[in-house]
Amino acid sequence: MMLTLIRRELLDNLMTFRFAVAVFIMLLLVVANTAVLIKDYERRLAGHKTEVQKSREYMLEGKTYSVAELNIDRPPNPLSIFNTGLDKRLGNEIWVYYGHVPTLWDAEKHSSQNPFMNILSSIDIVFIFEGVLSLLALIFAYDTLAGEYERGTLRLVLTHSVSRGHILLAKYISAMVCLLVPLLMSLILAMFLLTTSPSFSLSTPDFLRIGGIMVASIAYLSAFYLIGMLISAMTRRTSTALMLSMFVWGFLVLVYPNMIVAVIQPSNPPEERRASVHNHIKQIWEEFERERKHFLATDTHLEGDPYGNMRWRGGYNFEHFQDKASVLQYYYYAGAEIDGFHEEPESEALHVQNYHRFLVPLIIDTAEHTWRVRKPVLEELFILPATVDRSWLRLTPTGIYDIATQALAGTDLNGMQDFFTAVQQHRQSVIDYYYDKNAFASRQWFSSDKEVVDWSALPQFSFQRSDISINVKRALPDLFLLLTINIVLFIGIFLIFVRREV
Amino acid sequence: MWHITKREIYDNLNSLRFALTTVLLLALMLTNAVVHLREHPKRVQKYSDAVARYENRLAAYANESLYLLAQQGPGDLHKKPSPLRFCAEGGDSFLSGTINAGDPFVYAEDMTGVWKLSYPSMTPNLENVRPDVIKVDWGFIIGYVLSLVAFLFTFDIIASERERGTLRLMLANSIPRYTVLIGKFLGALISVSIPFTLSILMNLLVISTASNLHLNAEAWERLGVIFFIAILYMSLFLALGVLVSARVRQSAVSLVVLLLVWVTLVIFMPNTLASMTGEFSPSMLSGEFWKRYRQFHQELDEKYGDRVWSDKSDTKTLTARSEYFAEHAALDERLNEDRLSLQIDQFQHARFITRVSPVTIVQHLLESFAGTGFERHLQFVENTQRYARQFREFVVDTDREDPKSLHLIGIREGMSLKPVSPEAVPKFKDTLSLSKDFNTRAMELLLLTLFVMVLLSGAYLAFVRVEV
Repeated sequence: MMLTLIRRELLDNLMTFRFAVAVFIMLLLVVANTAVLIKDYERRLAGHKTEVQKSREYMLEGKTYSVAELNIDRPPNPLSIFNTGLDKRLGNEIWVYYGHVPTLWDAEKHSSQNPFMNILSSIDIVFIFEGVLSLLALIFAYDTLAGEYERGTLRLVLTHSVSRGHILLAKYISAMVCLLVPLLMSLILAMFLLTTSPSFSLSTPDFLRIGGIMVASIAYLSAFYLIGMLISAMTRRTSTALMLSMFVWGFLVLVYPNMIVAVIQPSNPPEERRASVHNHIKQIWEEFERERKHFLATDTHLEGDPYGNMRWRGGYNFEHFQDKASVLQYYYYAGAEIDGFHEEPESEALHVQNYHRFLVPLIIDTAEHTWRVRKPVLEELFILPATVDRSWLRLTPTGIYDIATQALAGTDLNGMQDFFTAVQQHRQSVIDYYYDKNAFASRQWFSSDKEVVDWSALPQFSFQRSDISINVKRALPDLFLLLTINIVLFIGIFLIFVRREV
Repeated sequence: MWHITKREIYDNLNSLRFALTTVLLLALMLTNAVVHLREHPKRVQKYSDAVARYENRLAAYANESLYLLAQQGPGDLHKKPSPLRFCAEGGDSFLSGTINAGDPFVYAEDMTGVWKLSYPSMTPNLENVRPDVIKVDWGFIIGYVLSLVAFLFTFDIIASERERGTLRLMLANSIPRYTVLIGKFLGALISVSIPFTLSILMNLLVISTASNLHLNAEAWERLGVIFFIAILYMSLFLALGVLVSARVRQSAVSLVVLLLVWVTLVIFMPNTLASMTGEFSPSMLSGEFWKRYRQFHQELDEKYGDRVWSDKSDTKTLTARSEYFAEHAALDERLNEDRLSLQIDQFQHARFITRVSPVTIVQHLLESFAGTGFERHLQFVENTQRYARQFREFVVDTDREDPKSLHLIGIREGMSLKPVSPEAVPKFKDTLSLSKDFNTRAMELLLLTLFVMVLLSGAYLAFVRVEV
């Protein structure tokens, strides 16, 4: 009996105009957008490669340790095609300097693209699913129960010895099968485009991640189908059900996510907090400056200026405090590249070496100290509001779906943080390398007259996107939330339908 | 006809969709007003602080000497925030609010060039890790929500009457079909306009009661135009709804078709199509830009050679140096401008094709009447360029009045070192004119009207041929 029901429903759905429309529109949107997104990704990848090349050249141009330009460029995430998340928006160029712990907020954007084009929001595949799949699910669902009730066929079916639960289940299964057709077809076509594009090299974990996104999409689809069914079960007329479904869709997908983020505001005034912490960090560096001055004053050879007594033949040096209050960036930046000296100032050079042996570890320590102060505040100022926003967004299936797929694609905040954690580790390994080579106390720290720094032995930066298991772990709570919504909705529909008079 | 219209309105007023629309639009408009009231004073405060900084800097240099003014330039120029930003946000967070007119090139410690205009290449929104959403402005409410509502009010306007058979009844009377059509169309127009107008009035009421926000007569004029545009846009979607409803036999099918149209017009076209067409006119890449930059600078250095840097201070050296400084600044400015105009071209190109979608047209129109968005940014750029010329002329003219000066701009030895009265220095005023907007936007308004006409006549033709 169950099979007969499913077959009937399936045929009913497949032969309809709306099914044809659903397939057509999904294919059109997904294919066109995937083509655009692939182009966009290729452009970003090319930009990334040029930047990597450029920063390598810059590094090799530096002749002393202290002027090293170690830039790291963040590669675009190939899965950003599915959900762009923060991948495109955040900075992708980060500078590794021993005197400052790099974070997400210190990154800049390499300017290889037209900034105006950012105004056009790019539509990723998940966005299409969010908007269009949910709409299709509601269009399929609004008349499943109300329509049969109106036509009187529901009474007819119930005269047979079929339990109401079975009817519901049959309807649910057949409609889901129908809705899966456009979803899977468009996803497969998108995958086809991805795999034929030469710039994409998707690994096995990537395919698993895409599989995860697919699972989330199915759960999302079913959640909206059940919402539509619930409305259909509660109303007696199809036109009312249709109206209600459309407004519910408008509210859940279009209005609520945009409205809630505009309305809520971080509770504590961040400006004062930012200012006070900025002052604190400044004081830490003032303390550092006092110690530095003190060291210079005690060494009679240096007389307050480390390079003052040496007669150079060329080169440059610089020292200043870098200050960017909005992200609490404050550090001491100094370097020197002296080509040579007129007279052999062996003893002077030894004093300068001595100065650096004292200074650089002090800078590193102060940077660590600053980082301990800065880290919790950055989290409070930037991450906390974002987390609050996201928890409000979780009140709609759309928000949950978006967050889950971002986590799976690795374009969420955690995925971004992974990269910057890797950069921080890289900075640490560069510092360790400097310590190993005793670079601070060496002459190459500030002068290139005897020997130019050999950069080839410097530790290389490498970044692997987090393991698939971590991605899944991050997405699981939201996936479970989606499943819970599904189950609750199904139970709700069942309870309403069972009590209903036909 | 009025009878039909009235009946249609009464039908709608009692319906569920009317209630839901009212609630939805009111909630959106109130959100919009509240957010605007919260954010706008901050923006205005920031702008006036920035302007105060700019004026202080200018006055400080003017009190020092004309030479310093000629060297350091007017400094950061700021874009004035529009009081009507709640109407259209217009990607303002991506567009930079300042253009730098200063920042002379420092050749050596005691050798500084002259100021130039430079356009920031990127807009800083890198700190924000909050989720990406569409701003709830009038552009969103009208462009997305109102169009959807218009479809929901018209998808069954004819199809359902035919389904129920009442259409045959009505046409059995001696009413011409166009009267029926127009009556129904007007009925739908009025029924959607009621909640829309109500919500807009609420929105403006909340915004105008706030003490720290002043909307002047011109702003109200603009709001009137925006309201008119919204009604026009709404009738476009209503006409489309009537057209489809007349062609299709079942109201459910009609809704499915309309939703398909809506998704294509509103979501797909404005962004995807623009990104696609943007490909055809790529802008300059940064690598290429720096290559050109280096090449031109090398040529400039070869042209002037080392004589610019000699220690002599005779007139010949000073003249050469002054020319070199001026040319260097002009070169930087030109290169920046070239890149900017290429970027603008690419973006304009990308936006041009999306005019086939009424949503884009209406958003462009709203942006230009609200004084935000890309067109406004171009106006701002133009204003700064005009001001830069004016400032340079002022420096030259003032210098000419000093008999002791050698009239070599940008050189300490060759310029008037007298202080200038700060009041005499031209100040940058960012303005925007409605008449100019209207000229550029008239075409789009006409296009929108054309769309409405075509769709209405299409609906008429479809309805006349319909068999009942």
